[in-house]
Amino acid sequence: MVRLECQGVVKEYPGVRALGGISLDFREGEVHGIIGENGAGKSTLMKILSGVEEPTEGTVSVAGNLTKLKNVRDGMASGIAMIHQELNLVEHLSVAENIFLGREILVGPKLNRREMNELAAQYLADVKSDAKPTDLVGSLPLAQQQLVEITKALSCNADVLIMDEPTAVLSEREKSALFELVKRLKSEGKAIILVSHLLGELIANCDRISVLRDGEFVATVQASEINEHELANMMVGRELGDLFPVKSTPSMDKTLLQSNSLQVKAGEVLGFAGLIGSGRTELWEEICGLRPGELSQSKNYAGSISRGVVYVSEDRKGAGLHLEFSVQDNIVLPWLGKFGKAVTNRKEVQTCAEGWKEKLSIRVPTVASRVGSLSGGNQQKVSLSKWLEGNPEVIILDEPTRGVDVGSKAQIYEIIAQLANQGKGVVVISSEMQELIGLCHRVVVMRDQSFAGELEGEEITEQAMMKLAAGVQSA
Amino acid sequence: MKKEFKPNEFVQEWGVLIAFVLFSVFVFVKFPDVFHNPLTWRNLFSQNVDVGLIALGMTMVIIGGGIDLSVGSMLALTGVLGLSFLNRQMGSGSESSAVLLSALGMVGIGGVLGAINGVIITKFRVVPFVATLVGLLVFRSLALAYANGGTITSSSKNEWAKVALTGVTLPVGKAGMLIPWSVFVLIAVALILGFLLNWTPFGRHLVAVGSNERAAKYSAISVDRVRLWTYTILGLCVGLAAWVASARLNSVTSTTLGQLYELDAIAAVVIGGTALSGGKGRIWGTFIGVLLLGMITTTLVAAGVSGYWQGVVKGGIILVAVLISRGKREN
Repeated sequence: MVRLECQGVVKEYPGVRALGGISLDFREGEVHGIIGENGAGKSTLMKILSGVEEPTEGTVSVAGNLTKLKNVRDGMASGIAMIHQELNLVEHLSVAENIFLGREILVGPKLNRREMNELAAQYLADVKSDAKPTDLVGSLPLAQQQLVEITKALSCNADVLIMDEPTAVLSEREKSALFELVKRLKSEGKAIILVSHLLGELIANCDRISVLRDGEFVATVQASEINEHELANMMVGRELGDLFPVKSTPSMDKTLLQSNSLQVKAGEVLGFAGLIGSGRTELWEEICGLRPGELSQSKNYAGSISRGVVYVSEDRKGAGLHLEFSVQDNIVLPWLGKFGKAVTNRKEVQTCAEGWKEKLSIRVPTVASRVGSLSGGNQQKVSLSKWLEGNPEVIILDEPTRGVDVGSKAQIYEIIAQLANQGKGVVVISSEMQELIGLCHRVVVMRDQSFAGELEGEEITEQAMMKLAAGVQSA
Repeated sequence: MKKEFKPNEFVQEWGVLIAFVLFSVFVFVKFPDVFHNPLTWRNLFSQNVDVGLIALGMTMVIIGGGIDLSVGSMLALTGVLGLSFLNRQMGSGSESSAVLLSALGMVGIGGVLGAINGVIITKFRVVPFVATLVGLLVFRSLALAYANGGTITSSSKNEWAKVALTGVTLPVGKAGMLIPWSVFVLIAVALILGFLLNWTPFGRHLVAVGSNERAAKYSAISVDRVRLWTYTILGLCVGLAAWVASARLNSVTSTTLGQLYELDAIAAVVIGGTALSGGKGRIWGTFIGVLLLGMITTTLVAAGVSGYWQGVVKGGIILVAVLISRGKREN
């Protein structure tokens, strides 16, 4: 049975045609994957299916009936729940209060805290979460918050569950728990829509996969009849070479940065692996002077920058970029002094930004466009431009491809390889082990805020990193 | 995860209460003449009721991520309109029905003025700071124009003043200690708002809106309606404050009533541990904040400190309160 269907859905924003007539159906007991490059229209389509936005043209049917979804409330009432890519939780409310936000259980005029907490505890147990209903959401680690978000959607008894990049912040163990859950929900007859950038993840967990490109429908395929390579080619619409560029062989004789036993050599790509919360980000933020500690070699971040060490944050929206600023203003922000002592030379700023737009092929109408309107991959390229503009010696990239599509990913990998070839030291902190294997000359694995081990060359394998990260003793 | 005891968190949570208790003990010992006298406490309570009512309403607005600078002017406008309504009613009906009608009228006028602020902010999308800055100018100006820049005096002989001047006498000291009805109004409002904030969907939605507007929207909460209500609630509180203030003074002076009340109210809210950024706050904290600020003023007078220095002391206290409630500096 078809749970949810869209027909000829068109969405136009001023000057942009985000969706050009998409028709898809989502069936009972099926996991339907949606994949596409930056700006392919995945998020827009999901917003229309969940009621956040209305289509310019076309229709949406729920269980065979034409339905107008005017807002989130309509979506919820029709049994459609969405798990958003950016967590939409209220950190100052408890887990239970978040789960029941907007549909609280009452006794008279009063909240029925006991019942909400009891029900929340059941739901949390269902998804194998360790969180307690009374915990404040803000006090939970990111992965737990993600589970709360999922719990919230499940608790609506929705028939259609839309998951937008649900595994972006999850560790391997949490990911497999999530997909166990997806399997169970599927057997209960739910229709699940899985939006992801991870090809392997989609092929392994979906029944059918639909590919979007530039707002247009490309194809719907059976997941069992396709491989990653074919899927990637459908997405980008051209033959995609190997995702990773050829590794160089750095001489490793020049040390660019030293902190205790840790060294970054000229021309190398140094990986940092570890589970979420193992302290990778904190370590490097400390080294860069972004947080106080003995490791900081500079009083503050400005000192670190002047020594040629820059850090590109994993948190693009929070710490990496000013979403309200234009592309050019973001890029020149740390270097404004270069563009005029007293008065900034706007012309030079524009020229500089256009140079980066060209060099990293940032897809944006003009460099005066707002960064917030760009897709993840393009935002990341702006973030990279911002720090490369200072011509640094050591570049620390924290989760450089999180929320980035395959096409941009390949480009970012290419940039990393080029930087290393130019004799820079590149540090890549990543939770995607394939990425570390494909890029790095050396990988340091962290566990519980300290070094668990170091791997080099051929030693860098998924099993070896997992063992070190999880603290399994090798036999 | 086990929650461990952290002194910092403890102080953050209870700091204002600890400060209040310590300060009470201090003044009790240090200025026995003043603070052993029930009259001091009575004045302390009754004089701070109007700011207190406003501060309680302000807490709701601030938790929702807003601010209201217009409350002082709103108090004056509500006061002059309400009192002249009372004086007109006095001529036509019985005194007690006139008083009742006028008191309700004041609360109603306050509610309407608050709702106007709310509509300007939510429907016309004007930032709260600017919208209520406009209110601060306009309401005061209207009050001045209506009262011709003068004072409107209540023509009710004694009924109108009863709420502020009569009440329950507690058996403290020789003459007893009179707690005026207005103080009970304040306590009742605190209880109602505390219940609303912590025990109803509206309260949870308010925290959600102030903490993460997007999440609230995606949970199908009508963000605008929640915000509109907070300003209306504050307006109702200002109406109550106009009632008790005009009863205490038996008149309303259009030029001065409520001047700088907006700042006193915001100060009390902040001292009480409510975050100005929204999403986190508590009613009881504001209640203690009002009392603490009032006690400080009384103490400075008792200690013979010139009124000119009050600002320095109050400012310092606000700064310390914010530093404590913020806890350890985040990196």
